[in-house]
Amino acid sequence: MSRNLVEIIRQHHELGAPTALAVLKDAMEDHGEITDEDRRHAAQRSGLPEAAVHGVSTFYDDLLAPRGARHVRVCTGTACFAATADAHVTALQDALACALGERREDGSVSLAETVCLGFCHSSPAVRDGDVIDAGPGVVARVLEETTRCAPEPTPISILDVPALLAGSPDWTGLVRAVTTLQPEQLLEEVKAAEVRGRGGAGFPAGAKWEFARKAAGERKFIVANGDEGDPGSYIDKVLMERHPNLLIEGMALAGYAVGADHGFVLTRSEYPLSKPLLETAVAGARDAGVLGASVLGSDFAFDITIIEGAGSYVVGEETALLACLQGLRGTVSARPPFPAQRGLHGMPTVVNNVETLCNIPVVARMGADRYHALSPASPTSGSKLVCFNERFARPGVYEVRFGTGMRELCEDVAGGLVGGRTIKALQIGGPLGGILPGWKIDTPFDFDELAAEGCMVGHGGIVAFDETTDMRALATHLLHFGAAESCGKCFPCRIGLRRAHEMFSRDTPVDRPKLEALLETLELGSLCAHGGGMPAPIRSLLAHFPEELGLAA
Amino acid sequence: MRSMLIEIDGVRAQVAPGTTVLEAVRALGGDVPTLCFDERQDPFGACRVCMVGVAGAPGPVAACTTPCRDGMHVDTHDPTARRIAAATVELVLSELPEAPAAHTELAIVARTFDLDVSGDVRWPGEQHAGEHDERHPYLALHHELCISCGRCVRACDEVQGTFALTATGRGFGANIAAGLDEGFRASTCVSCGACADTCPTDAITEISLLAMTER
Repeated sequence: MSRNLVEIIRQHHELGAPTALAVLKDAMEDHGEITDEDRRHAAQRSGLPEAAVHGVSTFYDDLLAPRGARHVRVCTGTACFAATADAHVTALQDALACALGERREDGSVSLAETVCLGFCHSSPAVRDGDVIDAGPGVVARVLEETTRCAPEPTPISILDVPALLAGSPDWTGLVRAVTTLQPEQLLEEVKAAEVRGRGGAGFPAGAKWEFARKAAGERKFIVANGDEGDPGSYIDKVLMERHPNLLIEGMALAGYAVGADHGFVLTRSEYPLSKPLLETAVAGARDAGVLGASVLGSDFAFDITIIEGAGSYVVGEETALLACLQGLRGTVSARPPFPAQRGLHGMPTVVNNVETLCNIPVVARMGADRYHALSPASPTSGSKLVCFNERFARPGVYEVRFGTGMRELCEDVAGGLVGGRTIKALQIGGPLGGILPGWKIDTPFDFDELAAEGCMVGHGGIVAFDETTDMRALATHLLHFGAAESCGKCFPCRIGLRRAHEMFSRDTPVDRPKLEALLETLELGSLCAHGGGMPAPIRSLLAHFPEELGLAA
Repeated sequence: MRSMLIEIDGVRAQVAPGTTVLEAVRALGGDVPTLCFDERQDPFGACRVCMVGVAGAPGPVAACTTPCRDGMHVDTHDPTARRIAAATVELVLSELPEAPAAHTELAIVARTFDLDVSGDVRWPGEQHAGEHDERHPYLALHHELCISCGRCVRACDEVQGTFALTATGRGFGANIAAGLDEGFRASTCVSCGACADTCPTDAITEISLLAMTER
């Protein structure tokens, strides 16, 4: 990330200037496309050089596809693929007479691809203006202009005593912390609780906090990573939209422990309700004295700002997320420097996933020992939210224990597949997670056990593919996503994912040795987990379903 | 802070804290090929061509962005690191519609990996479309030769402080633009030539007086 641009942004931020990205997003909302006039205006308002603004305007999905009077976005996430094999995408393109990413000449309708809307429980999903409709008949309703907001399932805890989903919090954890604990004591408690990051990497939250606490900086920040871009996952969506106070409490606790006075939440534009619902909750918390110059009457000050992204999967990576928050192109930066040393506006910054931060009030409320005991059969502490796709009989978000068997989760919790279909394979934890074949369903849901199968806990999304899924089509689907979402910074990912997608999308056999050499280059050469992780599901398919991949003899 | 003891290809050396592996290798007279690195700029870590082996690390690391640690053992000939770097250069050659000129850094780096710049590649596929911007009197931009190494953008930002250039697009479509993509002339470019000087592929070149008279 350019130090000069970050400094320009910091100075303008202190004067109350908006980011270039925010100005460009407004222009898109206002007139459906970005003109050079808009770019000049964004440069003037934000202080960013015109060229840099141009770079931003060519990076984010939301700024690229021109919008018609009616803007239709079709979800091409993995759950929607598992439901229809992309038949809904083809049907919409044909019926609307509009290709993906295009606008009809008369400006009446535009169609764009979006990944993913977080309605994996009732795929396929389509966003029509600001209405997200999903489930059987959605394509017909788009054509008849009768779309309606699809219902969303209520999250359920299967713990004897719910922890994360304990209901509306009374700020007990924060009260305990600011009245009885020194910041160092809270940090020690979180370290003792061994809270592992819930966003995919599993990094210990306490260690991250300690780096930031010890780092020198005139200010420090807490950033909640709400860019839950993993197709098939809608866990953070549920937390941000239904349990926003839990996130607010977790961020305030993090701020208290680290010595930060401000927090930011980066929400996804694919979840249009997240930002307004969080802003309402933040305003409520200010009124209740939970946020502001004196948190719960103490001398600790903390407040929160909500910022919405603009469509980019890689922005879920922490350095790209910080670039996006500052209105820059959402590309990855090499670490070090780590955000804990040099993050937002060049200051020490903790970036934690939304669910990770939502675990902190639970730790503060019940203490490290009881937090550990939430998953008694596992070395991993705390509970985990998982979610299931539409192929299951009871899709939704569930609070479960680590170490629970995948079979128990799929059959007892989610009710098995609809219509007596069988589980051909499961993708767990997002697009960078391996694929578990149906015959390995007795694997426990936990970090080490899934890693042994080339899979991961990841974000906790569980997408089932039934016997109708063609595995070569799945590989092509995943690599299309991987190539389209590559930020373009490091060479192996920028070119390699494109080449891997090309190998599968041609009607010719795939040369296995060449494919494996390419996958190795991605795994070992890429700068971040996107290029490094996209080979994992392809490796699984090579291991478990080679006969379906159309490999050369 | 006290200096650190490291070992590179069996040779021990004392380095100051904050020294990168690439700096240490070069200080010892060794070399690791690079494409996105320019010693006048902050390391970028994009090209992944400077990969080296480090004892105990799970895989090769980029020498340009990896700080030396006390007791570190670096192997610049690590076969895995060399294989990944060579494959990455091969990928770069596959995206260009024409072979890079022999004098360019890209062609020189390709030769160090024994790659034939105009030969077959293992992963053929879409190439950059030709697009020439020659509206500026002294600077020519051939977009199809751009490999998104970021050196021109950083030269303009970190060396010249002009901010006339930007990275554009994303993924395979990544490229560069001057100003609002209206060419160097309409941008804030001051014609310093730092971008052309650092470009490793001749995507940006200075149009010399000699070339003008030849036209």
